[in-house]
Amino acid sequence: MIATIITGAIFGIGLYAFYTSNAVSYLSDNPATCVNCHIMAPEFATWQYSSHRKNAVCNDCHVPHNNAFNKWFFKAKDGIRHATVFTARNEPQTIFIKEAGIKVVQDNCVRCHSALITEAKLLVQTESFHSQFKDRLCWECHREIPHGRVNSLSSAPYARVPVLKSTVPAWLKKFQE
Amino acid sequence: MKRANQNSKKRKSWVYWVLFLTSIVVVFMLGILASSITERRVEAVFAYQPKVKLSEYEPRNSEWGKNYPMEYESYMETADTLFSTLFNGNATIDMLEVDPRLVVLWAGYGFSKDYKQGRGHYYAIEDIRNTLRTGGPLQPDGGPMPATCWTCKSPDVPRFMNKNGVAEFYKGTWAAKGEEIVNAIGCADCHDNETMDLRITRPALIEGFKAMGKDIEKATHQEMRSLVCAQCHVEYYFNSKVPVEGVPYLTFPWKKGMTAEEMLDYYNEIEFSDWTHSLSKAPMLKAQHPGYEIYQTGIHAERGVSCADCHMPYQSQGGQKFTNHKMVSPLNNISASCQVCHRESESTLAKNVYDRQLKVIEIRDQAEVQIVRAHVEAKAAWDAGANETEMKDALQKIRAAQWFWDYAAASHGGSFHSPLETSRVVGKAIDQAQEARILLARILANHGMNNEIPYPDIATKAKAQNFIGLPMDKLIQEKEQFKKVVLPEWDRKAQEREATYK
Repeated sequence: MIATIITGAIFGIGLYAFYTSNAVSYLSDNPATCVNCHIMAPEFATWQYSSHRKNAVCNDCHVPHNNAFNKWFFKAKDGIRHATVFTARNEPQTIFIKEAGIKVVQDNCVRCHSALITEAKLLVQTESFHSQFKDRLCWECHREIPHGRVNSLSSAPYARVPVLKSTVPAWLKKFQE
Repeated sequence: MKRANQNSKKRKSWVYWVLFLTSIVVVFMLGILASSITERRVEAVFAYQPKVKLSEYEPRNSEWGKNYPMEYESYMETADTLFSTLFNGNATIDMLEVDPRLVVLWAGYGFSKDYKQGRGHYYAIEDIRNTLRTGGPLQPDGGPMPATCWTCKSPDVPRFMNKNGVAEFYKGTWAAKGEEIVNAIGCADCHDNETMDLRITRPALIEGFKAMGKDIEKATHQEMRSLVCAQCHVEYYFNSKVPVEGVPYLTFPWKKGMTAEEMLDYYNEIEFSDWTHSLSKAPMLKAQHPGYEIYQTGIHAERGVSCADCHMPYQSQGGQKFTNHKMVSPLNNISASCQVCHRESESTLAKNVYDRQLKVIEIRDQAEVQIVRAHVEAKAAWDAGANETEMKDALQKIRAAQWFWDYAAASHGGSFHSPLETSRVVGKAIDQAQEARILLARILANHGMNNEIPYPDIATKAKAQNFIGLPMDKLIQEKEQFKKVVLPEWDRKAQEREATYK
């Protein structure tokens, strides 16, 4: 009997953690999910004011899209790292993209903008075009895209970004009042 | 019997299921209740509730700290003395030990007794009390320094000026105001008590702007984030003639402009000198710390970056943005200071700073050797019987050379803030020193001395101080006596006064 109650309690606390951490949202591609952790607010805010907001969300650039396995594996791996750093309050004041992330983003630039670098007319004129594009990153020149040039947890303190909904249900609030 | 048993088993498993599901629901609901409690607690933290009412010139930083804990905590970190960069940081460095040439360059002036790399704002009072430059005055009218020396040390200064007037503050000796000035540089020096807006509390900066025909009231918030620093981190002198005869009035020599040449022009025009060099008898100028002036000639200033942007970077803690009040070399916090704009690694950025500093210090050292030689050769010329008319030009060149050198050397951080301007000014120093030495060589030759005047043995601070004839033992003894007898008295009187504050 006690064992049943304890098992129930464990499930209960697990369910609560699932609920309060907004866990289901991580299965989506909704950019609001990325500001579940408030330290991503400047990234959200700068994207929101960039030209990319029309056609690309966070996951379009920041997770691989070559196959479904890679996508979910990378998403889980990066998500767990982010969650760990955030929970441990280990975040740096300025966030840098990691090596693995750089590769993913670069591939995704090419994925959408391939026409720009396979343009036959350009290739005729400049043979070196292809080799040159391989040894540098798009944003080495396009430095403002899409998050701007000022990078800091404090760079957009007053930006209006989606905030987490309260985990306290409406009826309880009503009751409290 | 068998059937009854089966029935009870069935009933039992049904009970277990209910228990299991009920405990899930109960624990889940308890979790939500815990959430609600947490939310209410956070509300209490976030709702801004000033805990104390601050008076206009409240000098005690701890009082302000009650209302602004994050800023105050980071300010208190200026007590840290463990961070060193290649050349500076926040530890005490005995600069005369590191570079004994300084002793000779400042012979006859207080700085040759004692000159240390300053620690954080937290130590402003402690360090000025302890330096040998302020001497060991046992009576309020004793000691070598005027009250003006307190100007940059404490929020007690605007409090006193507001109560008794500006000239009254500058009047008299340093020792006479010891009991008045006790709180280290802090909140009230830069902030308005009601709005927390930045404010200028030191009249010298306002007057300096006026002398240039500018109105400091028109400064933008971003400019203010440098100007509050420029209240102190600038070149200054004490004017005992204007505006009040006999009072060493703190003045910024900006009337003609802020470059080394313009300031030298200004000083020459009013025939001002800080002291007469004890070896060369040249009328010397001591450049204080033209940090703000040199910074303005650099690329960061040109791009609109303020002092606070790098030395007091914004920081986020728990989703709350605040200004880090631990003023220190930005190399202490490269992530928040540099990488906000520069995406290079921390080690690359530190190297970029050190490269510039190393190159500037290389030529600065050469300038020092030349100026030391000029002083020693001038002394030899006097000893050989040279007269004032002969020496006049050479001494003016020495004055200019050392001014240029000091303008660059005393501007802590100048070699990074503006490497180009700093190198240019050091170049001027070398040029003027060489010119002086050519004149001196002719004078010496005219008096029958055609051999090299030997470079003095000043390998250590002690040797250098011995060379210029400083009675160090006596100075240290006086200081110890002063610390034992006078300081406790100052603190006691200050405590009595502060007990009457509301």
